[in-house]
Amino acid sequence: MTALAMIACTLAAAAAESFPEPIRPFLAAKAKDGTKVLSDHDIEKLARMPEHTRQLVGAAADSMILGSANHLRILLSLDLSPQDMELVVQDNCILCHSDPGNVKPRALFSPDPAKQGSNPLLDLREFVSDAHFRRGLSCSGCHGGTPKDESMSNEIGKRWPKEEERHSDRSWIPDFCARCHSDPAFMRGFNPTLATDQLNKYKESRHGMLLLREKDPRAAQCVSCHGVHGIRGPKSRKSSVNPQRIPDTCGACHANPRHMAGYKTDSGEPMPVTQVPEYKASVHGQALLEKGDLGAPSCTGCHGSHAAMPPAVASVAQVCRRCHAMNGQLFDSSPHKVAFEENKWPECGQCHGKHAIARPMDALIGDRPGTLCHDCHAQHARDNAICDKTSARFRAALDELSSGRAEVAPYEMELAEKGLDVEPLSRAVSELDEALLQARSRVHSFDLGTFEQAAGPAGDALARARQSIAAAHADHRLRQRGLLAAIGSIGLLALGIALKLRELRRRRDGK
Amino acid sequence: MSLYRWLDRRFELDPLVRFLQHKEVPVGTHSLFWYYLGGLTLFFFAVQIGTGALLLVYYQVGEQTSYESIRFITTKVPFGWLMRSLHCWSAHLMIVSLVLHMLSTMLLKAYRMPRELTWVTGFVLFALALGFGFSGYLLPWNELAFFATAVGTDSVKAVPGIGEWLMQVLRGGADVSGNTLYRFFALHVVILPLATFAVVGVHLLFIQRQGMAPPRGHAASHGMRFFPDFALRDVLLWLLCLLLLASLAVFLPYGPRIPGVEWELGRKANPLAPAYPGIKPEWYFLWVYQLLKEFPPHLFRIEGPRAALGVVTVLMGIWALVPWLDRRASREQASPAFTDLGVAAILFIGLLTLKAWDIGGGAAAQPDVRAVARACALWTLVAGFAATVLRFAFLRHTWFVFTGAVLLQAALHGFAGFSYLGASAIGALTAATGVVLSRDRSTLAGKPP
Repeated sequence: MTALAMIACTLAAAAAESFPEPIRPFLAAKAKDGTKVLSDHDIEKLARMPEHTRQLVGAAADSMILGSANHLRILLSLDLSPQDMELVVQDNCILCHSDPGNVKPRALFSPDPAKQGSNPLLDLREFVSDAHFRRGLSCSGCHGGTPKDESMSNEIGKRWPKEEERHSDRSWIPDFCARCHSDPAFMRGFNPTLATDQLNKYKESRHGMLLLREKDPRAAQCVSCHGVHGIRGPKSRKSSVNPQRIPDTCGACHANPRHMAGYKTDSGEPMPVTQVPEYKASVHGQALLEKGDLGAPSCTGCHGSHAAMPPAVASVAQVCRRCHAMNGQLFDSSPHKVAFEENKWPECGQCHGKHAIARPMDALIGDRPGTLCHDCHAQHARDNAICDKTSARFRAALDELSSGRAEVAPYEMELAEKGLDVEPLSRAVSELDEALLQARSRVHSFDLGTFEQAAGPAGDALARARQSIAAAHADHRLRQRGLLAAIGSIGLLALGIALKLRELRRRRDGK
Repeated sequence: MSLYRWLDRRFELDPLVRFLQHKEVPVGTHSLFWYYLGGLTLFFFAVQIGTGALLLVYYQVGEQTSYESIRFITTKVPFGWLMRSLHCWSAHLMIVSLVLHMLSTMLLKAYRMPRELTWVTGFVLFALALGFGFSGYLLPWNELAFFATAVGTDSVKAVPGIGEWLMQVLRGGADVSGNTLYRFFALHVVILPLATFAVVGVHLLFIQRQGMAPPRGHAASHGMRFFPDFALRDVLLWLLCLLLLASLAVFLPYGPRIPGVEWELGRKANPLAPAYPGIKPEWYFLWVYQLLKEFPPHLFRIEGPRAALGVVTVLMGIWALVPWLDRRASREQASPAFTDLGVAAILFIGLLTLKAWDIGGGAAAQPDVRAVARACALWTLVAGFAATVLRFAFLRHTWFVFTGAVLLQAALHGFAGFSYLGASAIGALTAATGVVLSRDRSTLAGKPP
């Protein structure tokens, strides 16, 4: 046992020698309860880092800014890449403010601020994931001073308004961020594809007007949406401006009745706070949030991001046309276009709604009470025989085609399982789907002729689908009859052989 | 008759006819059923040749044509669907009859002296049949075939020394590609058929020279004439199997939809698409597939797949060399250990195959491995105990060491929480101990205890 212990000690000593001298005492440091501060796993992580990174960690320990084994343990717990570790250990701001033995909790960056009782914004794990930090821009980039400062420089904080002012008036923030983000020459060195017109757009937005002109501190500015120390690009799923997280980011204010209290719409009504839950239940919200379709619009898809503004009645339909262009064109040539303009109705929103846009259904169309067409015409254009006939035909044709589709589609699986040729049926169902989609879109023309151009081919495709099902069933019957014939003929042959065998046996028994 | 005389004058057919007239099948107290299985396998092979030739009329090998031509055969060519379905069903039934033929030979000790080489040629034919299955699987060039072949050829890498080279030879490159398709096609329609014809010829020649083997201990009281009595019975069975084949082809054209026994065309292979979960080889390879899964990435510093393939090679080697290992049978003595080895092999392969099918795992995409192990062990134990009781009651068998070892392995794995390999190691130790302890026992001589 003694020999084994000696071997283990020798191996441990040899391993410790591979680390820079200033950090060797950390490797054996023990906590008050006698346990080692750095676990074997921590030491292994440090050992796996490149020599250059370990030398930089050693230099930080040598300067005493990396002050203890516990401090090193905290940095290792971040699981940083060697490149990020090198950034951290060369930045005295981070080193000092992440050392629990050096700063008070209110200024301490830690991997778990809640446990340390510090500000949630001082999350060290978030900070080392920040897009700015990852591109080499650290604390001093915003706060002032330099990463090499060994004590708090007088330059720190000079770039900002005084503390009592900067919280009550947030209008300095957009200009502060724009120092870099509106400078194309500067931004080109980091991300040449990133736009640099955000400040100009923001100034024209409702948020910008409220903040910059009315000095409203509740109005959203850069950090309201992008965050402070954990800013990530929109492609990151953790980013507050990732398309799938935008509804919640906007909802942080717009779904909060206390925050929105006092704000009014253009028509002077209190600003509603139901948009986010309505959006989440809508066809767009479900496509984006549940199906993961990033092509579906979130809040910024219709309202814009930096230039966010509620679309006016005149422009809201143009927003919809960005994706639903075909329906927009059909509507523009329809008799409804003039009527809607005269009544100052928002085109698409009048029938489909705004944030709570539901999946359009054929049941909305028709000349019966309860349908959109009937109810609106009963109120505004009563007793129009042509309109009644048009809506009745739309509904009847769509019902027939969709019920026909529901009737033929299951045969694809059934016939395929029987080994029958389902290619003609699959083709016909695809054509039916395409024509049905077209027919539903052409409803927006409110014209029977235009509608029939798609409904006619859909009817033909449905007829072809039914014919191919009948042909496949006939083929299956033929196969079964063929099998019966084969069974009959092979059975007869087998019977003949069985009789011959019986005769042979009798003949042999007779002998 | 004049035609026969015309031919006889030129080819001297009379000696051949006399030989066939005198050819007999031994008849005694044993069942004649076992003698039909070889002929039945040959019948299914003939169906394969016939339907394969018809498929070849329309099949066009190539990355751009294989899938399309199979689709064309099954949807547009008159009775093309029937040919493909018959080909696939017959392939599986041929393996079934071949395995039954081999097991009956094993259990009846028909491999004993002087028929050792007949057993070896039969074993080679079994390997060739597996080769037919493996190479034919890729030819439709659909998604399932592509990924199954990728997995199958990848496992060849585990062969020590030449594994990487062998995989590249099989694939015609680093990955499964059009090159693989061409060489699998050549294997399936030229190389393997020629080899099979040659080995079947030798196998039949041995049988003609030595005659059919009566089971040990069942002296043949007389013989049944092969022509016409036995041959007509053979034909009758073939006709019944043809009926079965036709019915299966009409009612289940894409197989019974059990993993490893299905051949729906599905989607065309896309080498750039990611492999999807649940890809399994054909049913007769499932036990090897499951064994590969049971091994950890490394075992005693040996790569897991290499160790698993090593185990398979050793087991197959023992199987091929059974006629020489079973020296008692060669001396016309009882060899209950080898009878039990055959039964244990069925149970061993059965447990692994059931596990590969995730029996007891429900419909979940990721079945509970413990529930699967429990259910598969239960089925294996039920089958094993039933076989043991039947053997003891009706066949007076008293030697169950190998069967007991497999059942112990199943019980430990399924109900005591042991890993498959842990349970197997204990089972193997138990079998070895049982063999050593019972070496000189009277049971080995076939005497009742």
